[in-house]
Amino acid sequence: MDFALSEDQEMLKTMARDFLEKECPEVMVRQIETDERGYSPELWRQIAELGWLGISIPEEYGGTGGDAIDLMVLHEEIGRALFPSPHLSTVVLCGHTILDVGSTEQKQELLPKIVNGELILAMALTEPESSWDGKAWDPEGVTVKAAPDGDDYVIDGIKLFVHDAHIADYLLCVARTKDDGPPEEGITLFLVDAKSPGISYELLDTLANRNKQCEVVFDKVKVPKSNIVGELNGGWAPLFKSITTGAVLLCAQMVGAGHRIQELTVDYAKTRIQFDMPIGINQHVQEHCVQLVIRQDACRYATQYAAWALGQPGQDMEVAMAKAWCSEAFEHICWRAHQVFAGVGTMAVLHIMPMYTRRGIVMEHYLGDTPFWLEKVALEMEKLPLHQKTKGKPLGLWDPDRKQVPVWDIWREYAESL
Amino acid sequence: MEFGFSEGQKKLMAEMREFCMNEIPEDYDPEYSGRFQEAETLEFWKQFHQKGVEKGWPTAGWPKKYGGMGLSAIEQAAIASEMSYWGARWGGIMAMSLVAPTILAAGTDEQREKWVPPIARGEITAFEAFTEPDAGSDEANVQLRAVPDGDEYVLNGQKTFISGGVKPDWLYTLCKTADVTPKHRGLSIFMVPGDAPGVSYRPLPTMGGSQQNEIFYDNVGVPKENLVGELNRGFYLAMTTFEFERAAGGGLGARRSMEKIMEYARQEKLNDKPLYKDPKARDMLARMAVHQHLGFLFGWYTAWHRSQREKLGPQHYNSGTLWARLWQEFDGEHMRRVFGMYTQLKQKSKYAKYHGRPGRTWEYMHAHHAAGSPEIRRVVIADRGLGLPRIPRQFNVQINEALRQG
Repeated sequence: MDFALSEDQEMLKTMARDFLEKECPEVMVRQIETDERGYSPELWRQIAELGWLGISIPEEYGGTGGDAIDLMVLHEEIGRALFPSPHLSTVVLCGHTILDVGSTEQKQELLPKIVNGELILAMALTEPESSWDGKAWDPEGVTVKAAPDGDDYVIDGIKLFVHDAHIADYLLCVARTKDDGPPEEGITLFLVDAKSPGISYELLDTLANRNKQCEVVFDKVKVPKSNIVGELNGGWAPLFKSITTGAVLLCAQMVGAGHRIQELTVDYAKTRIQFDMPIGINQHVQEHCVQLVIRQDACRYATQYAAWALGQPGQDMEVAMAKAWCSEAFEHICWRAHQVFAGVGTMAVLHIMPMYTRRGIVMEHYLGDTPFWLEKVALEMEKLPLHQKTKGKPLGLWDPDRKQVPVWDIWREYAESL
Repeated sequence: MEFGFSEGQKKLMAEMREFCMNEIPEDYDPEYSGRFQEAETLEFWKQFHQKGVEKGWPTAGWPKKYGGMGLSAIEQAAIASEMSYWGARWGGIMAMSLVAPTILAAGTDEQREKWVPPIARGEITAFEAFTEPDAGSDEANVQLRAVPDGDEYVLNGQKTFISGGVKPDWLYTLCKTADVTPKHRGLSIFMVPGDAPGVSYRPLPTMGGSQQNEIFYDNVGVPKENLVGELNRGFYLAMTTFEFERAAGGGLGARRSMEKIMEYARQEKLNDKPLYKDPKARDMLARMAVHQHLGFLFGWYTAWHRSQREKLGPQHYNSGTLWARLWQEFDGEHMRRVFGMYTQLKQKSKYAKYHGRPGRTWEYMHAHHAAGSPEIRRVVIADRGLGLPRIPRQFNVQINEALRQG
């Protein structure tokens, strides 16, 4: 049992924080926000040089072969700085999936380019219908079809809320290739050249201007069979594994953001003077701060545990719990902070809180919201073993019908008086 | 970062598991809501304790000199964690987990030798007699007086809401020994024999039926050597004791609760389907599991932090102490929502659902307030943890005066 980061992880954390404070301060985040691309190619190049794109990719493909905890450390800082980039889409959602089930050629072709920043990838999974009826992250929600046609497949349909699609070189399109049988056994992953004829993009007008999301229309888009990632009809399991990792990293982003919010909020409560005193002297304000902090601590522990548990067998429930908790808790944290900041916290240009809050709404829903992950927890609970039984000689002492005689005379008198 | 256990810890936990499985009666029900501590059950836990003593487990974290094994906070927590899965407890738990560590830390050598070994063997019951009618959250406002008189101190005053259903051998009593400002620098702790002449008791049953007491001290003479730690430093000792009390956690008891409620939700039916298939119940089950997992993590964080104290320094605030209370409130709410009218039924009713537990969360409110209400804990976190300002104490009297004058 050890909650501390290793020395290397501490170094990574310090390095990431220093870099982002210097290169991606609030003013830079605001600039990127107004840019239609929603990311900075210059910063993308720099983080590639720093090795952030290869942090979890094995050395044979140019990465450094780190684990989920290394990723967590990095994403905490990304969340804290509100750093807008397609890191999660490219490295984790697509990169990890290719690493897990891609062919040797795909891995050798794509992974080194991901690591050195040449490629941006985006995962095209969610659809208009499925996002409306609560099946966005379930295999049932995948209805966009890919039909075989000679040496190709033809993809036809609409994907919605696709992060980073408009800047991507490839889309990892999740399509249905079999209608009968269990829904998760008819899904195939296609690596689609983003410039293929028939693909069109429209940026969505969302609350969070960065984290650009798109509607992607596939109008009879041809994809060669060799671009299937993993097995035909076997795409769901590896994809969901990457989604799970991604969900934990979103939690890490919320932890990083939440910690910054905590610092700002408590500091404001100490320095803002009203009625000739700091507002933090009022217990209503203190209540907001404490409720914020306790949720923030819970987010941190749950996320740390989940990042560790990603590499362990039999821990699916604990991993699901992280996003189930953080999605709701982060919203609550933002609300508490807003209550302390009051008017000034709502100023779009003057204050950083609106950026955290709007990003929070994206993170809350992206890769599964609280009800989605709670359902995963419930499914794991169904598998819980029965409570183990003790084997000592029965004593008959714990029967509710048994008359209880208190051991102490004053209580015996009381019991008799009843 | 590592959330698993070392081989040594796993072995310790496996031994503990084996011990609990074999020693605890097969009809023991940790959820049983007995109203009174009574001779037979107490006798069982005392024997259980004695058998544990042979292995050294009840006092695993204490120095070897005083009957401990000198294990780290993590290993201690590993033992406690395994015990909480089985709902096991050592006899004389309050003396062992609260009183003895404080005496170990602050008592004289004579006191350690006098009290610690019998406490370690589970032979002593002690009450923590701190709260008074006018000293609740404001613990420093203790009015029970201890006045020196020759070789002894003479105690006069009253304690209230003191938990315990067994006549105590010792009262670990917080007394006022000096009229000073600030008040908390004039308090001291004495070990008072439970049967000293002048001590009398009155039962105070709580709404959940648990046993609390009023204790009256009428010219009670206590030898000077029964002063624990230094004179007028009692408040700091009391706070240390609270730290022990508040830090308890990290147990696998959460795991047991999860398994138990799931077991129940498999057997119970709703609309001809197992209860766990119902969306509302499913939401409740999953949320309870999340809260319990978080409780587990808060507890382990505290244990880990303690084991690293030399490196990390004291914990600025312990949010786990507040979390434990919050999740009980959350879970109580969820259960009442699912169980509806049946929340009212107690364990003995033939219609009772889930052994009458849904309503018990409310009935057992008193447990929320032991060692400080959630509200005072929030103030402590805000003040000592986050460094938020508070009205300097010297103004309290003036404010009160101004309020009275309107």
